[in-house]
Amino acid sequence: MTDSSNFLVIIALLPFLGALLPGVMIRAGRTACAWFTAFPTALALLLLLVLAPAVMRGETIHAEIEWLPQLGLTASFMLDGLSLLFAGMILGIGLLITLYARFYLSGNDPMGVFFTYLLLFQGAMLGIVLSDNILLLLIFWELTSLSSFLLIGFWSHLPEGRQGARMALAVTGAGGLAMIGGMLILGDIAGSYKISEILQAGDAIRASDWYIPALILILLGAFTKSAQFPFHFWLPHAMAAPTPVSAYLHSATMVKAGVFLMARMWPALAGTDAWFYIVATTGLVTMVIGALIALFKDDLKALLAFSTVSHLGLLTMLLGIGTPFAAVVAVFHIINHLTFKAALFMTAGIIDHETGTRDINRLGGLRRLMPVTFVIGTIAALSMAGIPLFNGFLSKEMMLDAAHDTTWAGNPLIVAVLATVGALLSVAYSLRFIWHVFFGPVRDDYPSKPHDPPFGMWAGPAFLATLVVVIGIVPAAIVGPLVAVAGGAVIGDAEMPYYSLKIWHGVNAALFMSIIAVVGGLVFLALHGGLNRIWNALPRPEAKAIFDWIVAQVAALSRRVTEASHNGSISRYLAILIVASVALGAVAFGGSGLATPSREMLPVSLPVLAGWLMLIVATGSIVVMHHHRFRALVLIGIIGLMISFGFVFLSAPDLALTQISVETVTIMLLLLALHFMPKSTPRESSGLLKLRDGVIAIAAGGGVGALAYAFMLRDVDTISGYHLENSYTGGGGTNVVNVILVDFRGYDTYGEIIVLGIAGFVIYALMDTLLNGPAARRLRNTDYAQNRSRDRHPLMMVVATRVMMPIAVMVGVYIFLRGHNQPGGGFVAGLVISIALLMQYMASGFAWTQNRQRVEYHALIGIGALVAGLTGAAAWLYNSPFLTSLYGYVELPPIEEFGIGTAFLFDLGVFMTVLGAVMLMLYSLSRIARYAGEPINVDPMDYDPKQAIVDEKGEV
Amino acid sequence: MIAADIQVVLPELVLSVFAMAALMGAVYTIKDRAAPLLVWTTSGVMVLVALWIAIAGPQGSAFEGSFTSDGFSVFAKVMILMSGAAILLMSEGYMARHGILKFEYPVLITLASVGMMVMVSAGDLIVLYMGLELQSLALYVVAALRRDSIKSTEAGLKYFVLGALSSGLLLYGASLTYGYTGTTSFAGIIEATEGGVSTGLLFGLVFLLAGFAFKVSAAPFHMWTPDVYEGSPTPVTAFFATAPKVAAMGLFARVVHDAFGGVVGDWQQIVALLSVLSMFLGAIAAIGQRNIKRLMAYSSIAHMGFALMGLAAGTVLGVQAMLIYMAIYVTMNIGTFAFIMSMEKDGRVVTDIDALQMYSKREPLKALAMLVLLFSLAGVPPMVGFFGKLYVLRAAYDAGLGWLAVAGVLASVIGAFYYLRIVYYMYFGEERDALDPGMSPVLWGFLMASAAVMVVGIVNLFGIEPAAAAAAASLVN
Repeated sequence: MTDSSNFLVIIALLPFLGALLPGVMIRAGRTACAWFTAFPTALALLLLLVLAPAVMRGETIHAEIEWLPQLGLTASFMLDGLSLLFAGMILGIGLLITLYARFYLSGNDPMGVFFTYLLLFQGAMLGIVLSDNILLLLIFWELTSLSSFLLIGFWSHLPEGRQGARMALAVTGAGGLAMIGGMLILGDIAGSYKISEILQAGDAIRASDWYIPALILILLGAFTKSAQFPFHFWLPHAMAAPTPVSAYLHSATMVKAGVFLMARMWPALAGTDAWFYIVATTGLVTMVIGALIALFKDDLKALLAFSTVSHLGLLTMLLGIGTPFAAVVAVFHIINHLTFKAALFMTAGIIDHETGTRDINRLGGLRRLMPVTFVIGTIAALSMAGIPLFNGFLSKEMMLDAAHDTTWAGNPLIVAVLATVGALLSVAYSLRFIWHVFFGPVRDDYPSKPHDPPFGMWAGPAFLATLVVVIGIVPAAIVGPLVAVAGGAVIGDAEMPYYSLKIWHGVNAALFMSIIAVVGGLVFLALHGGLNRIWNALPRPEAKAIFDWIVAQVAALSRRVTEASHNGSISRYLAILIVASVALGAVAFGGSGLATPSREMLPVSLPVLAGWLMLIVATGSIVVMHHHRFRALVLIGIIGLMISFGFVFLSAPDLALTQISVETVTIMLLLLALHFMPKSTPRESSGLLKLRDGVIAIAAGGGVGALAYAFMLRDVDTISGYHLENSYTGGGGTNVVNVILVDFRGYDTYGEIIVLGIAGFVIYALMDTLLNGPAARRLRNTDYAQNRSRDRHPLMMVVATRVMMPIAVMVGVYIFLRGHNQPGGGFVAGLVISIALLMQYMASGFAWTQNRQRVEYHALIGIGALVAGLTGAAAWLYNSPFLTSLYGYVELPPIEEFGIGTAFLFDLGVFMTVLGAVMLMLYSLSRIARYAGEPINVDPMDYDPKQAIVDEKGEV
Repeated sequence: MIAADIQVVLPELVLSVFAMAALMGAVYTIKDRAAPLLVWTTSGVMVLVALWIAIAGPQGSAFEGSFTSDGFSVFAKVMILMSGAAILLMSEGYMARHGILKFEYPVLITLASVGMMVMVSAGDLIVLYMGLELQSLALYVVAALRRDSIKSTEAGLKYFVLGALSSGLLLYGASLTYGYTGTTSFAGIIEATEGGVSTGLLFGLVFLLAGFAFKVSAAPFHMWTPDVYEGSPTPVTAFFATAPKVAAMGLFARVVHDAFGGVVGDWQQIVALLSVLSMFLGAIAAIGQRNIKRLMAYSSIAHMGFALMGLAAGTVLGVQAMLIYMAIYVTMNIGTFAFIMSMEKDGRVVTDIDALQMYSKREPLKALAMLVLLFSLAGVPPMVGFFGKLYVLRAAYDAGLGWLAVAGVLASVIGAFYYLRIVYYMYFGEERDALDPGMSPVLWGFLMASAAVMVVGIVNLFGIEPAAAAAAASLVN
C-alpha cells in the first residue's frame, strides 16, 4: 500500500485508538483530558489535510485490508471529494466540540467517560464516510447508533432523556437493521460489496427487479437516521442530551449520515421515478412540517432541533430531485448548514448554561447582558434565515432555483410553492430566535445572572460564525473548489452542471421567491403571538404519543399472540402441534398427488363389517364415556380384541396371539390399578373447546386413516419378501414373526425385554418412594372398607382358577415350544403364564398367594435378561456376531417335532423376563392395597360370605 | 472390523462409560455430596473429549455407514461438548445455593450429550432415533429437576407429553420413509430418491421434518419452549438454550442433506416456512414478555428461525452459515445466561426484567457486558451476532430465497426492539430496589469472556469460518 493508503487507514483508526486515552488521562486533570481527546482528532485532521491536495486534484485514495472475504466483507476505505468534505466536518467540528465541552461540563460530570464515548462516536462517523464497502459502512452505521445511545444516556438522570434515548435507539437501530437487507440486495445486484464498484453498476441496479425493495430498505435506514418524516419525531426528543452532544450529533454529523448515504449512493440509485417520488416528496414534506413545528417551539433546543429536521428535509429533497445541479446544491448547503447550525446549538448551550433556562418565554433582552453571544447567535440565525451576506442565503437561493425547475406529477408549481413556504417559515423561526432571546426588555427573573461565558466556550461558535460571514461574502474563493470536488463525487460520471457561487444572480424567479419568504417570515413573526394561540388550540398529532401508542399496540399484539399460542394449557399446545402436522401432511399430499389405485378393494364380509362397526362404536363410546374410568377400560378391552381379530383376519395369527395376551395382561393390571383411583376423571373443557378438539381429532385421525387406505390400494415394494424368503434358511423357523423377533431383529427383542424388566423395576421403585412420602398418608386415610364386596374371594372363582392353572401352564409351555415354527414363542408364553398366575392372585388375594410362591421376581427378571444376553454372546465363541443363532430339530413325544436352537434359549430368557416383569408390577400394585389398609385373608377363599373379615396386618 | 467400528465411536463410548461409572459410583458412595466434584469432573471430561475429537478429526464411518464421523459431526460435537461443559461449570454454584445439586444432574447432562453426539453423527434413521431419544429422555428429567416446584414439574410433564408426540410423528415419518425406500440408511435413501420422491416418501419427509422442528423449537412446533424455559431451573434452561439446539440443528442438517440432499426442492420451502414463522413469532411474542427466561425462550425461537434460514438455502454456504450462526448463538447465550443466573434479590431468584432498571448505575461493567451481548443478540453491527445474521441472509439470498432474506431482516428489526428495551432499562430505567451485588467468579468470567468474544471476534471470528466451511463441505455434496 502507498503512503496515502496507510494514512487513510490511520485516519480511520485514530479515534478508536484515541478513545483509550481520555479514560486514563482524566486522572491527570480535566484540561489534560480534553487535550488528549483533541490530540487524536487533530492528528487525524492533519493527516486528512496532507491527503487533501491529491483529492482536490480529483484523485481517489483507496486502502484495503482483507477481513472476511467469503462474506464479501473487506476493510476497505476510500477518500474522494464527498468523503473529504464529511471527514473534514466530522474532525473539525469534533475539535471545536471538545473545546466547548471542556468548559460546558460541570465538575460533577465524569468527563473521561464522556470524551471516550465522543471519540468512539467520532470514529464510527469517520468510518461511515470513509468506507468503501457497504457492509463495513453498515457496521459503522450501527456503531454510531450504539455510541450515540451512550452519549445521549450520559445525562440519564433527566427523565426526558430516558424517553429520548429509547426512541432514538429504537428508530435508528431498526432503520439500520432494515438497511442490512437493502445492502445485501444491492451488493448482489452489483456483484460486489465495494462502493466504488456499486457506483459503476448504477444502470444494472436501476434495471433490476430487486431495485425497489433494495431502495426502500436502504431509504428506511437513511430516513430514520436523518429524521425524515414520518421518523422525524425522535430527534427533538433526543435533545435532552448535553448540548455538546446535540451540537455534534444532532446538527453536524450523525443526522447527516442519512444524507451522506443518499449522496453516496446517488449515482447508483438516483434518477428513477421511484427515487424522485419517495425521496424528494419525503424531503419536501419534512422541510415544511419541521419548519412549521419549529416556529411554535418555546424550548430553544427544540426549536433548533425542528429547524434541523427541516433543513435535513431540504437536503433530502435536493438529492431526491435527481438532477446534478440539485445534488451539487445539496453539497453546498451541507457545508452552510453545518456552520450556522453548530454555532446556533453552541449558542443555545451557552444561553442555557449562563441563564439556567432554555425557555424562550423566560428569556429576552440578552443582547446587553451577553454581547458576544448575541453577535454570534445573530449572525448564525440570519444565515439560517437566508439573509444576504451570510452563507445560508446562497444555498437557499440555489435551492429555490432547483425547486423552481422541478415538476411534481405533472404540476410545475407545487414544489416551488412548498419550498417557498419552507423558506418563509425558516425566516420566521430564525428571526424569532433572535428577537425573543436577545431583544426586548431586560428581565429581572432569569434563573441565574446572565453573562458572557469564558473565551474557551465561545471560541468555537465564534469561529463558525466567522466562516458563515466569510463564505457568505466570498463563497467561490473559500469553498468553491471543495463544492466542486465533493459535488463531482456525488454525481459520479454525470456531467458537472453549470452553477456559480456568488451573491448576486440577477433578477430571477429564485430572488422573488426569496423576497416572498423574507417578507412573509417577518409577517409571521409579527403575528406570532396570535398564531401561537391558534397553534396551541389546534389539535395535532403528538409524535411521542403516537410512538407510545404504536409500542403499546405492538405489545398488545404480542400479548395476543402469546395468549393464543401459550396460555399454558397443554391441550392447546397439542391442538397446535396436531393442526400443524395435518397441515404438513396436506402439503405433502399437494406435492405430486397420488398415482391411480392399482389394487381392488377386498370384499367386505359380514364378520368383518361387524368387527369394524364394533371398533368404531367402541372408539366413539370412549370419547363420550371416558369420564367413567371403568367403562372406558372395558371399551379399551373391546378395541384391543377387535384389533386382535383384525390380525387374525389379515392372516397374522402370531400378532393376534401376542396382541390378545398383551391386552389381557394390561387390562387386568389396569383393573387392579383402578381400585386406587377416583371413579371418574375431572371435567375439563367447555363445549366449544370440545368441538374444536373433535374437529382436530377427526382431521388428524381421518388423515392417517386416509393415508393408510390410499397406500393399501397401491402396490408398494415392501421388505416382507426378504423375511419370508430367509426366515427358514437363515433363522431355522417357519414362523416368520418369531424368527424376526428372535433372530433377524433379535437385538431389538433383547433391548425390549430389558426395557420391560426395567419398567417392572421402576414401577417397584416408584411405589417404594410413593409409600414413603406424603401420598402414603393419604392412602392410609382412605377408607376402602366402604363399597367393599363381602365375597372378595368367591369360592367359584377360586376353584375355577385352580382348575385352569395346570391347563394354562401347559398351554404356555406348548406355545413356548412351538413358537419357532408356529404362532407362539417366549413372549406370548410369558404372558400366558402370567395370566394363569394373575388369576390366582385375583381369586385368592395377593398376600395369600404370595406366601405360596418361591420365586423372587427381581431375580427372575435378572436371570431372564442374563440368559438371553449370554445366549447372544455365545455366538462370539464361534466368531459370529452377537445373537447369531444355531439350531436343530428335536422330537419330544407327544408334542410335535420342534426346533431347538440357540434361539430357543434366547426365547427362554425372554419368557422369564416377561413373566418376572408382569408379576413385579402386580406385586407393586398390591403393596398399595396393603398400605391402604386392605385386610389380608388367611384362607384362599371366602367360605362363608357372611363372616367377618380377619384383619391381620403385616407388610408383604 | 468391529475394532475399527469401535475406534470411530470411542468418544461416545468413553463418555457413556464415564456416565455409568459416575452414576454407580455416586449411588453406592456419598450420593449428592459427590455432586460438586462430579460436576467439575464431568465438565473436565467433556472438554477433554471435545479436544480429543477436534484433534483426531474425522474418523470415517462405522457400523456399515450407520454412524458417521465427518467434518460436520466433529464441528458440531465440539460445539455441543464445549457448551455443555461451560453450562455445567456455571450451574454448580447456582444449583448448590438452591439445594438442587443432585449427583444425577451431571450424569444426565453427560448422557444427553452422548445422545446429541450420536444425533449429529447418525447415518441411519434408527441410529438417529436412538440418539434423539437418549438426549430427550435425559432432558425430560432435567427439565423437572426441581421436583418440589409445581412450575418445574409441570414444565417437565408438558415437555414429555409433547416430546413423546413429536417423537411419534418422527417415527411415523421414519417408518414411511423406510417403507418407501426399503432402507433406513441415509446412503440408501439418497440413492432411492435419485429420480425424485414419491408421494409416500414425501409424507415420510414432512413428518420427519415436523419431528425435527419440534426439537429445534421452530414455530409452529415451539409451544413447549417458553414453559420449559421458565419452569426449569435456570442452569437447565441455559443448557436447553445451547447444546441441544446445536444437536437438533445438526441432526436437521444431517438428514436433509445426507438423506434428502438430492431433492432439495422438496424440503426447501417447508424449511423456509418454518424459518419465517419462527423468526416472526419469536420476535413478536418476545415483546410482551417481562420474564427474562421466557423472553430468552422466544429469542431462541427467533434465532432458530435464522439458523433454519441458512439451512433452507440448501447449499454449502447455507450449512456453513448455519454452523457459524449456531456457534455465535451458543456463545451469546452462555454469557447471557451467566448473567441471568446471577440475578438475585435478597438471595431469591429474580427473573423480571424490571429488576434491571438502572443497573448501569450500580454495576457499570456488567451492564456494559450485557449491553454488548444484547446488541449482539439483536444482530446489531458491529457485534459478532451481526456476522451470524449476515451469513445466513447471504446464504438465503444467494440460494434464490430473496423474499426469505428480506423477511429475516424485517423480523430482526422487530426482534431488536425487545433486546434494546432491556438495554434501555439498564441505562435509563427508574431507580428500583437493587439486585444483590456480586457474582460468582465463574459466572463473572463467562459473562465477560462471552461479551469480549462478541467484540474481539469481529477481527476474524476466531478463525471459525474455514472450519465451518470444511464441515459444511463434508456434509453437502
